[in-house]
Amino acid sequence: MFENNHLKDPRQSLELLLEEATLMGAKRLIRYPNRKFFGYFCSYFPEELILAAGLEPLRLLPDSENPTPVELPAYCCSLARGTLDMEVREKWSDLVGIGFTHTCDTMQCLSGIWAACGNSKTVDIVPPVMLNAPGASSYYHAELGSLLNELTALTKHEIQNEALRAALVLCANTRKLVTELDALRFNLPSPLIFSLLRAGQLMPRPEYALALENCLPLLKDMAKETHNKANVLVSSAVLENNSLFEMIEELGGRVVADDTCTGYRHYSGVTVSGSENLLLDIVQRYTNMPPCPCKNRSLNERISYLTALAKQRHAQGAIIIVRKYCEPHAWDAVTLSESFRRCGIRTLTLELEGANVGGQERTRLQAFLESLLEGPGL
Amino acid sequence: MQVSQEKRRNYRPLVSSKTLQKTMGRYYALTNYHRYWGKLMRRPLAWVTSGAPVELLRAFNIHSAYPEQYAAIYSARNATVNLCEVAEAAGYSQDLCSYARSNIGGVLRPDLAPLGGMPKPDLLVACNNICGTVLKWYEVLARHFDVPLLVLDTPFLTGELTTQAKEYVLEQLNAMVTDLEKITHRRLDEKKLAQQMSLSREITSLWIETRQYCRASPSPLNAPDLFINMAPIVVLRGSHEGINFYRKLRDEVKERVDLAQGAIENERIRLVWDNIAIWPQLFSFYKMFSEKGACFVTDTYSGGWAVEQAPGTPLESLAATYTEVFLNRSPKYRANQLINLIKEFKADGFVMHSNRSCKPYSLVQEVIRKEVIHETGVPGLMIEADMADPRAYAEEPVRNRVQAFLETFDDL
Repeated sequence: MFENNHLKDPRQSLELLLEEATLMGAKRLIRYPNRKFFGYFCSYFPEELILAAGLEPLRLLPDSENPTPVELPAYCCSLARGTLDMEVREKWSDLVGIGFTHTCDTMQCLSGIWAACGNSKTVDIVPPVMLNAPGASSYYHAELGSLLNELTALTKHEIQNEALRAALVLCANTRKLVTELDALRFNLPSPLIFSLLRAGQLMPRPEYALALENCLPLLKDMAKETHNKANVLVSSAVLENNSLFEMIEELGGRVVADDTCTGYRHYSGVTVSGSENLLLDIVQRYTNMPPCPCKNRSLNERISYLTALAKQRHAQGAIIIVRKYCEPHAWDAVTLSESFRRCGIRTLTLELEGANVGGQERTRLQAFLESLLEGPGL
Repeated sequence: MQVSQEKRRNYRPLVSSKTLQKTMGRYYALTNYHRYWGKLMRRPLAWVTSGAPVELLRAFNIHSAYPEQYAAIYSARNATVNLCEVAEAAGYSQDLCSYARSNIGGVLRPDLAPLGGMPKPDLLVACNNICGTVLKWYEVLARHFDVPLLVLDTPFLTGELTTQAKEYVLEQLNAMVTDLEKITHRRLDEKKLAQQMSLSREITSLWIETRQYCRASPSPLNAPDLFINMAPIVVLRGSHEGINFYRKLRDEVKERVDLAQGAIENERIRLVWDNIAIWPQLFSFYKMFSEKGACFVTDTYSGGWAVEQAPGTPLESLAATYTEVFLNRSPKYRANQLINLIKEFKADGFVMHSNRSCKPYSLVQEVIRKEVIHETGVPGLMIEADMADPRAYAEEPVRNRVQAFLETFDDL
């Protein structure tokens, strides 16, 4: 069982975060027996409301790459297949509920499939796709209100304004700490950064914020040494382990800019506060965060944002990961790589079945990173 | 000679198919020569998704062309593989929608596309009520052609249409009116919109009536008839030409019922089809069924256009009608829809096309299949293929599955 006094030591805090990132919530009942967890899939599911309902948000990640639950065809991403397979194996049976956000077509379908064949209670929110469309904010606000009602019904406790305010403060603080961590990327190993970012989606948030705050000075000390590696940007959907980042690091690369669902994109963007109606602050936050490919704020905003990010972080190359059957990322990969190349940023698009990389990826990554390391400017 | 061929095919051709060819031929000619008359007539050309509120565009005198429909033609004319390969060489994954890939292939290499590809659009109109793919696809097109992209975001309905969703769509439609006024330099003529809505109601009611005749036994139409004859309801919705065609089709179908003429000879098994047609195998696939006396008496795909308009002002009606389309609804809704079709059309079974190119249609099919079997007691077969890309169609495994499925009806 976990106790907060473990967090006084920065090294223990760091170890805890790294353990949690590896465990992916598997030991939640042993470590946090007094907490109730609520599963969710996507960064557009507002964690603030889960926390305000007295629950701990747990991002659902698959524990294997090639599961084949009968309810889904083979031409479906391994995230959907893997997590549904875990539902069938009753790995989520302790969860108070599971939240689905309408982002891609697969998530939309998975919600209905889960409701039909799973045992967990499911809760949906359908945010606008066109985030700047006329009426989108009002609609989003009303959807958050409906979600609040659903979570109230689920927990049988009215969600108080104070609880919501505390959740907003906790999330804002966490995002601030994570932004400090993101600034250390240049001089810290990429797998370490990604583990720390992933842990914040898999363990109770107050403990995460406390542990991260305690170990940040240590991380800052560790980051004093400069590196001589090839700077890359990585764009991807969910990556449930560090396999890719370990290989990048091993082959002489370093991720200096991160656009992954389970990485910094989950936290990035400004946290708004101060509205009388707290739900409006949440609408602002999720509307203005850097969009994933499923959302549109204007035609080229995502492409321009990522190109600017790569330039600002002095990325020499960009690695675009397309997980097999992930359509939104596959669509944007073409335009994104054209945009990077126009700016002189070399680009590699890798298709992965799951999060693990193997021999084939090694060959391509090695050639790509060597070309960056041998190129001008290093 | 002709009679023996028909017997061999076990297929009764429709006389109205000549009118269909003429009607659609005129539409394609008009569309493909748009560059010669569009500016002169002040009628911009819009590429639109099949679920877009075309009544509004027609009220602005905009001529609509449908990439999805062209993609079906590319497929039926065996051009899809070449066109998809062009798109794949440009970086688009083979796992993306084959309509989208072949359309993009046709944009990049019109010389490889039947009909010379599609004429360049003046604007793009996408509605995501059918899938999220259309947004990404049309973003690519908007960048390529550098023309305005208007998107109608219709929230997915996990249950019934909510007030907030309806108001959101309505607000976007109001904004779309403003955008269209700027693009066309015309004010919205509300009378014209009301007239378009009325024409749209008329064509839809004819399509509904025609389909309902298939409750008769033997059914006057089979799946290929439904798929071929749905073209005008998609591209000529709200047009007099479309209405004239469906009157002829309706009369012919009614006559077949009066004469007890089935679409196939010796109808023995009545089936319902779920998902988009397998265009590259349109006749050979369904022949496997018709030669065993199995007729698809109705389907969910072409039935998507057999939906009455929701009440309200024209814009309110468009908001609700286009948000409530079946592909924008939960598996529970879709299962009930299929259960009702099986009961209404006295079907003995159903066949689902697990379509690699259409995730919203296909990913939920297995849970729907189980629910429908549980509720109706009729068997349901799943076939994996693709609506347009023949590379995803494995003939022998499909044939084996179809044969085994049809053998279960041998006692009928």
